[in-house]
Amino acid sequence: MKDMYILGIESSCDETSASIVKNGTEEISTVISSQIDIHKDYGGVVPEIASRQHVKNITIVIEECLEKANMGIEDIDAIAITYGPGLIGSLLVGLEAAKTLAFIYDKPLIPVHHIAGHIYANSLVKELKFPLLAIVVSGGHTEIIKMTEHYKFEKLGGTLDDAIGECYDKVARVINLEYPGGPKIDKLAKIGNKSYKLPIPLQDDSYNFSFSGLKSAVINLVHNENQRGEEIRTADLAASFQDVAISSIITKVKKAIINEGIKNVIVAGGVAANSGLRDAMEKLTEELNVDLSIPPMKYCTDNATMIAAAGYYAYLDGRIAGLDLNSKSQDTLV
Amino acid sequence: MIYLYIDTSSNYLYSSIVKDNTILGEICEEYGQSLSKVALPRIVSMFEENNIKPNDITNIVVINGPGSFTGIRIGITIAKVFAWSLNIPITTMTSLEAMSLSVEDEKIHVPIINARRGYVYAAIYNKDKELLSPQHIKIDELKKHVKKYDNVEYISNDEFDENFNLIEYRPNFLKIINNSKNKKSINPHMVNPEYLKLTAAEESKI
Repeated sequence: MKDMYILGIESSCDETSASIVKNGTEEISTVISSQIDIHKDYGGVVPEIASRQHVKNITIVIEECLEKANMGIEDIDAIAITYGPGLIGSLLVGLEAAKTLAFIYDKPLIPVHHIAGHIYANSLVKELKFPLLAIVVSGGHTEIIKMTEHYKFEKLGGTLDDAIGECYDKVARVINLEYPGGPKIDKLAKIGNKSYKLPIPLQDDSYNFSFSGLKSAVINLVHNENQRGEEIRTADLAASFQDVAISSIITKVKKAIINEGIKNVIVAGGVAANSGLRDAMEKLTEELNVDLSIPPMKYCTDNATMIAAAGYYAYLDGRIAGLDLNSKSQDTLV
Repeated sequence: MIYLYIDTSSNYLYSSIVKDNTILGEICEEYGQSLSKVALPRIVSMFEENNIKPNDITNIVVINGPGSFTGIRIGITIAKVFAWSLNIPITTMTSLEAMSLSVEDEKIHVPIINARRGYVYAAIYNKDKELLSPQHIKIDELKKHVKKYDNVEYISNDEFDENFNLIEYRPNFLKIINNSKNKKSINPHMVNPEYLKLTAAEESKI
């Protein structure tokens, strides 16, 4: 088969990104325009502001990506687009740009689920081995997905309420850490002691998670300590919270690896950057003797490289969309 | 010269392909379902019905607002991708100006778009002259401005609680395209919506 160059476009949250990937594995060029500084002032991503930024950025980002690759759109074989899940107004900007390019240049349009993108970020680093377990952890997702072959996904479980990254950011706000607070909790956890007692959520037989109870427990704890005039030991609370949050994930992942005969575990999504989670995953996979892949930091946050990579395998699976493709704020990965 | 016109700022999809002084294709439809699902496919059918290829287009004219935030972004994105990728001139026009241009009489035109909670997007025109610039304005305030003029008519497709004696808006594509020829083309990267209103998050910060 001849080489296939895919232009990926991603705008599901607060990053506008375009990337060209060859054969699903080789990154040719990537541009990411992050809005993090704009949303900082609001303590989180404001959907309407994010959408407004995407429309300002979109053609600039795609042009820069093509220039970096020294390619024109006519050199591209197909266009891969994140159709969902994500913020609907944000998704629509990337989607319209991708569809318009597909029309003008008569290129196949490949719809990519955002989570499939996070999973395939790993195929940019090393070949995936099946059966595989993908742990997707981010500000919007907490899911365990099993794959027995390329582009076949089976969701084993997921969060019943808040996503883990969302929970991190909310807890960070309660202890007055600036947005995005997740990485700051991770940092503090390293120097703190696990001296606060917090409940381990959802210890059942499912592969599901729950983080809203844990979040409430932290909020209540901070409230009660404040009422008593006690000062919060921020680092200790961060350590206690991180320990419980990660343990609840590791317990379920361990069960899934054993029950499902998993050969390869991959961790994907923004929270894959969390050092506590990385360490715990390394320990677990070593103990159970399975391969672990965690993508480098640059592929953990939202980017179009992973979308173009996933797009290649989606294309091989025959997934081509018409120009009536619509964005979906929520959609199950199948 | 072949112009592609796109206006997705309301709950109607308006688009046209105009060659020299002739309308080759036009779309004036209230879309029942999601705009993003129908906008591009309808525009593509218009191309196909007229045997026009994307790279036959020499100019783009797009409505940059005010109106539905999401709607405007859809049209602007399609338009700027066209202009940028084909490297052709693009000009913008406000929805209010297009509304005023489309009504051919000698009266003072007040195009209005319902912005809810007692507000409208509105402007006042005397033929080509702008008497009140497009803005997000309280209906009471607008009426104070309108009072200064005789022989006024309101133009809109929206519904309002009060009676404005509205003239229905049907775009006059030829007039809009011809008028756009007086406007300077913009770098496609810099073509952006004119929302005329901050986001709720920004407003609550002020």
